[in-house]
Amino acid sequence: MVTVKINGKEITVEDGTLILNAARDAGFEVPTFCYQADLIGIGSCRMCLVEIEGQKKLQPSCVTPVLHGMSINTESPTVVSARAGVLEFLLANHALDCPVCDKGGECELQDMVYRYGPHKGRHAEPKFKFHEKDYVLSPVIIKNSNRCVQCVKCVRVCREVVGANVLTSLNRGDHQEETSFLRSFLDCDQDGNCIEVCPVGCFMRLPYRYKTRPWDLKGADTVCPYCATGCRMVIEHRDGVVIRARAQLGVGLNSETLCARGRFGFDFINNPNRLTTPLVRKRGALEPASWEEAMGLIKKNFSVGGGKVGGIASPRLVNEELYLFQKLFRTVFNSPNIDSSSRWDPLAVESFVSAASMHEGGVSIFDCMASDTLLIIGSHLSDENPVTDYIVRRISANRRMNVIIASPRAMKLDSSATQLLRHLPGAEDSVLEAIILNLNYDKLPDETLKPVKDARLEALLSTAGALDKEIKAIARKLGASSTVAVIAGTDFLRAPQSIPALGLLKDLLRSRGKKVTVLPALDRCNQRGAWEMGVHPGFGPGYSRVDKKGLGCDGILAAAEQGELDALYIAGSDVASMYPDGEFAAKALSAVKFLVVQDIFLTETAKLAHVVLPGASFAEKEGIFTNQEGRAQIIRKLLPPPGKAKRDFDIIRAVGESFDPSFGPKNPVLVLDEIRKEAPMYGDVSLVFNNKKNIEDKLDNRAALVKGAQSAALKVSRIEPRADLGGAEQFPFRLVTGNHLFHSGMLSRMSSSMTGLLNAAVIEISEGDADALGLRNGDKVSVRGAACEAQMTLRTRKGSGKGMAFVAENFEDAPVARFFRRGKGAPRVAITKI
Amino acid sequence: MESVLLKNIGKPDAHRIENYVRNGGYRALAAALKLAPEHIIQMVKDSGLRGRGGAGFSTGLKWSFIPKDPTVAKYLCCNADEGEPGTFKDRGIMDNDPHLLIEGMIISSYAIGASNAYIYIRGEFVFGARRLEAAIKEAYERGYLGGDILGSGFNLDMYVHRGFGAYICGEETALLESIEGYRAQPRKKPPFPALSGLYGKPTVINNVETLSCIPAIIEKGPEWFAGIGPAKSPGPKIYCVSGHVKKPGLYELAMGATARDIIFNHCGGMLRDDRALKAVIPGGVSAPLLTPKDLDTPLDFDSLAAKGSMLGSGAVIVMDSSTCMVKTAYIINRFFSHESCGKCTPCRDGTPWLTKILRRLEHGEGRAGDVEMLESLCDNIFGRTFCPLGDGAVMALRGALKNFREEFQYHVDHKRCMAC
Ligand SMILES: Cc1cc2nc3c(=O)[nH]c(=O)nc-3n(C[C@H](O)[C@H](O)[C@H](O)COP(=O)(O)O)c2cc1C
Ligand code: SF4
Ligand code: SF4
Ligand code: SF4
Ligand code: SF4
Ligand code: FES
Repeated sequence: MVTVKINGKEITVEDGTLILNAARDAGFEVPTFCYQADLIGIGSCRMCLVEIEGQKKLQPSCVTPVLHGMSINTESPTVVSARAGVLEFLLANHALDCPVCDKGGECELQDMVYRYGPHKGRHAEPKFKFHEKDYVLSPVIIKNSNRCVQCVKCVRVCREVVGANVLTSLNRGDHQEETSFLRSFLDCDQDGNCIEVCPVGCFMRLPYRYKTRPWDLKGADTVCPYCATGCRMVIEHRDGVVIRARAQLGVGLNSETLCARGRFGFDFINNPNRLTTPLVRKRGALEPASWEEAMGLIKKNFSVGGGKVGGIASPRLVNEELYLFQKLFRTVFNSPNIDSSSRWDPLAVESFVSAASMHEGGVSIFDCMASDTLLIIGSHLSDENPVTDYIVRRISANRRMNVIIASPRAMKLDSSATQLLRHLPGAEDSVLEAIILNLNYDKLPDETLKPVKDARLEALLSTAGALDKEIKAIARKLGASSTVAVIAGTDFLRAPQSIPALGLLKDLLRSRGKKVTVLPALDRCNQRGAWEMGVHPGFGPGYSRVDKKGLGCDGILAAAEQGELDALYIAGSDVASMYPDGEFAAKALSAVKFLVVQDIFLTETAKLAHVVLPGASFAEKEGIFTNQEGRAQIIRKLLPPPGKAKRDFDIIRAVGESFDPSFGPKNPVLVLDEIRKEAPMYGDVSLVFNNKKNIEDKLDNRAALVKGAQSAALKVSRIEPRADLGGAEQFPFRLVTGNHLFHSGMLSRMSSSMTGLLNAAVIEISEGDADALGLRNGDKVSVRGAACEAQMTLRTRKGSGKGMAFVAENFEDAPVARFFRRGKGAPRVAITKI
Repeated sequence: MESVLLKNIGKPDAHRIENYVRNGGYRALAAALKLAPEHIIQMVKDSGLRGRGGAGFSTGLKWSFIPKDPTVAKYLCCNADEGEPGTFKDRGIMDNDPHLLIEGMIISSYAIGASNAYIYIRGEFVFGARRLEAAIKEAYERGYLGGDILGSGFNLDMYVHRGFGAYICGEETALLESIEGYRAQPRKKPPFPALSGLYGKPTVINNVETLSCIPAIIEKGPEWFAGIGPAKSPGPKIYCVSGHVKKPGLYELAMGATARDIIFNHCGGMLRDDRALKAVIPGGVSAPLLTPKDLDTPLDFDSLAAKGSMLGSGAVIVMDSSTCMVKTAYIINRFFSHESCGKCTPCRDGTPWLTKILRRLEHGEGRAGDVEMLESLCDNIFGRTFCPLGDGAVMALRGALKNFREEFQYHVDHKRCMAC
């Protein structure tokens, strides 16, 4: 700790604290442009100059650490005049077209000039102009360089945080322009973080352009509804239309960053195709109906005992709704047949939760980033959980740690890895087992076992497609670390035979006295919440034991297909699109005797329903999402549900009440109280928003992390791998699936910004494979599997593994689910040019 | 004074290694490799050599900041960007006597423990770059570069890195950025390059002329070097004389020669006898000008600093009575605003503003208050920029304003020039 004097006031701060932060801690304001807590300081704008006693020149407080005994003045006449001088220079070439500038009213330059002067302009020379008209950089980003203050935050966030390296500064002096080469946004992630960090009106949202003034907006502080990173954001509407989502500096684990989905994907909320009234099937067609009519049908067709019923609820519902949903089934319908995923096998889920120790409570990403070694496996983090990718990139660049990435596909985050392992798809088990074997060598009790182990290792290496030295290096790093974090993604759920090895590795490292945490990387915003609320056939709220185990999605569909299911209630899930065997799902859903679908759009699933209930989007309700770390965060209501649509909570409650008037609790607040009791993990989770500004490590709101479950009823089951669907000769590529950077499930398909960025399906293979086939990036190809054939555009990726083709799950024209066959393994496909 | 730095220039094929060696070249290297590196650093300290790139920092002291840890890679970078207008001494050495620089660099690398050395040469110096490359090849062939140099066990590789055409590339940290492949913009200091320089490793950056002094210091001893010129800035110095003199060119003199001595004894006097001396810029265009009353100031680091100017790169620009000071200020300022790298606000947006006012003055479009405005803008730039470029622009303009304010005012009042 060092003690310094700031404007005469003594303050003691930690060694290495920047003068700027010390001054702010002491309660003095120091204006800045180029400083941002989570970017590397450059000290270039000169807004933050302060006077240090004994130093001739003013010093930039944003890059100068305090030294013991320093006496600093942030308000001396020289400092004050220097600030005004800098602002005067910034205004010299500035466009000053505030009346037509989107930033007007929330512009840092306006605010600073208002506050720190000069209030009279002296510049009477011709201004330099970069261009006459604003130029469009991408379908969502537009630029006006004439307003630039050259803080270079846009370039720095693009490089240091996003890792896209699309932006740069071109030219020199007052001609310096932050933009991209050829003003093209070729490899851009379209996340608009450049917009967010820009203090003025240079980088702007194209969809938001000229639509409003910031003071006409009403906002709600909420959480992104796409992946489970759980980014905090504010969504804002004007006259009932949501027109902006923005992140806030120093708020949420994401601070000022969001990915493209979070920043631009909100416009599904006002999509004209939203369901606004209940629909009821009459003479074969769905027709608008009243709530009474719809509820009457439900009452008539769901039996409170005896008959076989099932329920599937979406991991995009809030905890309160999910809790009530499982309660409805378990207590009112007396049915244990509930699930929250159309894609994952319930046994796999239970094993994954257990292997990843999710029942032990929340794991902060910031703790993971403070470990000696981070292993990322089974996750295409850069596309699936982009802001998690940013956090890993930003923090790992600034500290000494091992970042090991094991994945079949190349990804943007690879450049942050200290070691990369390209393994064969679905071979996470072999990779992990080979590591475990290596870790065990030094503890081999009996030399005679060595040949056996060697042979086993060789076999594992060949199924993993990895080299001995790669695995050895990983094992060495893990062995030498005292803290290890593993980010384990949804590929474990896609290839569940790998899950036991994940648990084994964790246990082995823990048995050596290491601190091991596993962070599950999940692709639906409230997947963890859905599990922890007990929307699972095998465990109840808080991973508690249930008396009666039931059927999961797959079992429910199987029963339906046999004509054994009397009624099925699907809330928010698009089972028909996502269940891996689309044909089977459609057949099964059509065979359900009574199908109720509650959703915000008429999904493929809803089209098969007897009754369709219009629910609410995340913008139209309040509640809790639990992100992948186990952080419980509130979403807030911005708008009422459209038309006759209702909050999902109210619908679920009404369904319950129509069978049992005492069903409840009656409102979400009371449900939360019950959750706190029934799932003690949530007992004292704090929902107080963490609004600390600016100081980076305060982003970690630990009070929001769920606690460990006292008694979890979980076990890891060995799940036998299934043979690939289709032979390797006929179908040379193994299909790998997941979410696209711009899409998340089918929800983002309803966002015109996101479909504007990418609408039609693409298939991605490695550059080498494309060359071998004589195919090029951008070619139209036909993709043929044993079960399905579809046309897509080819993308090639440098550095990906051979013999693997990636198709995102998000496109109707490439219905990935249809390539799968129930009971079979991953499909294989052949690719030919059209 | 006997010529040290320019001694081979003018000799036939002086750039060829056999001629360099015949004239005594690479003897200093052989001697140096027998000495302990610390010993060489001490010799350079004792010699009193101060950097010839502009700032005049003690070279030996700079070297002594390099960590001694042998497991850490270290770099030597020769600053051959020579961008300061009026300066052409480094080019003289590189074009004509490349081995002098190379020998100096090998000894310097040995002293600081570097096994890689870069010559960052101004992009326009195509001839010099080719010369150096050829010379480096020769040095490899003779075992002065590469592995186990002269059987000493010391290894060194040397590279020529061509610059990217901006003055700022000569600023030492911008130079490092440029070698690393980034845009040349200065880095914040600390950390200083001696601790974290090229690729984050300890690095020494020295000017061509600085490094070319090293062989002579080894051969003739630090006392000899320290005995030349003033005690606090000793040694031979190349003055680059240009402007209104009869014989412009490179003059290697003992440090501390006066402008009078240089102009009237060495350069044959003013270009036209009917025109009197009006002003001298003593050390490149950033250096505030001197007027005839300062003609007897010794041109060394400390004497010029005492006069409020600086030795800088040693570029002496002589102007006679026909020179318009407003135009001079305009041209110099235009250079700085054009070369401003764009990183910091006062220089990026302040220097072009100055240029625009000066351009108006020069074109007879001055407005009342312009001179005061120039002064006020200078106050808002000086001392507040990120690197010395912005300060340099202000120092030059302030010098002109201080000594020739009435000329500027005349441009405002009469919309034309007083001098021409
Ligand atoms: C804007 C600017 C330009 C510079 N250009 C050069 C140059 O062209 N050559 C040079 O040797 N030093 C130049 N310098 C000085 C270098 O930053 C550095 O001080 C010098 O290379 C150190 O070498 P020395 O100690 O041998 O003088 C420049 C400095 C600034 C601020
Ligand atoms: S960036 Fe700010 S100051 Fe500039 S035009 Fe826009 S609102 Fe006005
Ligand atoms: S575009 Fe915006 S963020 Fe980028 S340098 Fe200019 S003002 Fe800063
Ligand atoms: S999709 Fe995920 S990473 Fe992107 S903004 Fe939303 S929560 Fe964050
Ligand atoms: S003073 Fe600032 S803008 Fe000028 S060259 Fe230096 S860093 Fe660049
Ligand atoms: S905020 Fe410190 S220099 Fe920009």
